[in-house]
Amino acid sequence: MASDEFHRLALEHLDALYNFAMYLTRNPPEADDLVQETYLRAFRFSHRFQAGTHLRAWLFQILRNTFLTFYRLRERESALAEDGVPTWDVPMFHDAPEESSGAVEAHTDLERALLRLPEEFRTVLLLAEVEGMALEDVARVLGCPVGTVKSRIFRAKERLRGLLQDYTNK
Amino acid sequence: MSGDHSPESDEVLGTRLRAELRRYAAPTSLRAAITHGGAPTPRRAMWLSPVLAAAATALALGLVFLLIGPRMVPADPVERLVRSVVAEHTRALMWGARRPEVIPTALPWLTQESGIGLKKVFAGDDHLQFSGAEPVYLEGHRGIALHYRDADGHLLSYVVLPIAGFPVPDRRRVQIERGTSRWRPALMHDSGFAAWVWRQGDLACFIVSDMVSDADVERFKDYFVRLRISTDPVPAQ
Repeated sequence: MASDEFHRLALEHLDALYNFAMYLTRNPPEADDLVQETYLRAFRFSHRFQAGTHLRAWLFQILRNTFLTFYRLRERESALAEDGVPTWDVPMFHDAPEESSGAVEAHTDLERALLRLPEEFRTVLLLAEVEGMALEDVARVLGCPVGTVKSRIFRAKERLRGLLQDYTNK
Repeated sequence: MSGDHSPESDEVLGTRLRAELRRYAAPTSLRAAITHGGAPTPRRAMWLSPVLAAAATALALGLVFLLIGPRMVPADPVERLVRSVVAEHTRALMWGARRPEVIPTALPWLTQESGIGLKKVFAGDDHLQFSGAEPVYLEGHRGIALHYRDADGHLLSYVVLPIAGFPVPDRRRVQIERGTSRWRPALMHDSGFAAWVWRQGDLACFIVSDMVSDADVERFKDYFVRLRISTDPVPAQ
């Protein structure tokens, strides 16, 4: 695939990638960095992309892997609570604003509940339900079998329902 | 959209996720940066430099620590002893013996202080000049150190410690022959110094010097023979 053509096709998914990045990071500057890094890697390794396969899934895969890589590098695991819910006051990238004022607050119970899900549950719901990806593509992004994706979606929804119920009871 | 949610089916929940979640559009600046930049330089590069600088500083500090910091203590007891003997040698090299005494007048005092008796002792010749003797305390053992200096100014320290069954490392042994006599001391190195290590009865014996080059080793062998055949240390009664 020609480089220009690849760039053009890749950029068609910019909004979707940014939206995904926002739900992963909850911080616009961090989402910016994450998406830029994703495109940097995609352009650099465009020769590895197999024409005819799903470019969108490939880009989401890069973005998630990048997120997890930086996440682990920054030892963000220590900031995770037992239920895997990250605290958002620590910037993912060093040049991101130090204070959490840049973090976007959740406005609805649904959003709040989604953000309380562990990353693997949140991601699977965002990809399968919000982005409408086929299960095969979700499996590719997550690097797991389709059966695992199905069970993860089921469990994610169970958890989400429980969290929503908590909000209702409050 | 908060409150008042009853348990809902997977399908309804999926529909709600698609319909109610905000969608974030990429900012114009980000789009422009990626579109016009082709392969944009991520802001990560801004913190990469300080990280690299910090890593370089840590590396430099590590090197300084390795050069001037405390040395790791070897796990092997023989190597640990050799290190102590070398340390004693360097101390003598830098500051001289604490109480240099002249043999044979000092022999009774040395024997009493060190627990090592010298039935005979090498008092120097044309090649090696005796420069002092003193009691030492190394790795928990009282012992004796005899210091000699050769014509080129090399200091030799002959250290004897009472250690029964001292294990001389076999793989470091070097065969030295003079006439019909033959010895197999171990040649060990530590901190830029060479040391002959051998066992003599219940005593561990060491000769340390800075003679480490191939040419020096031949001379070092010769000094070993001179000291070995002319000195007979025994545990003091």
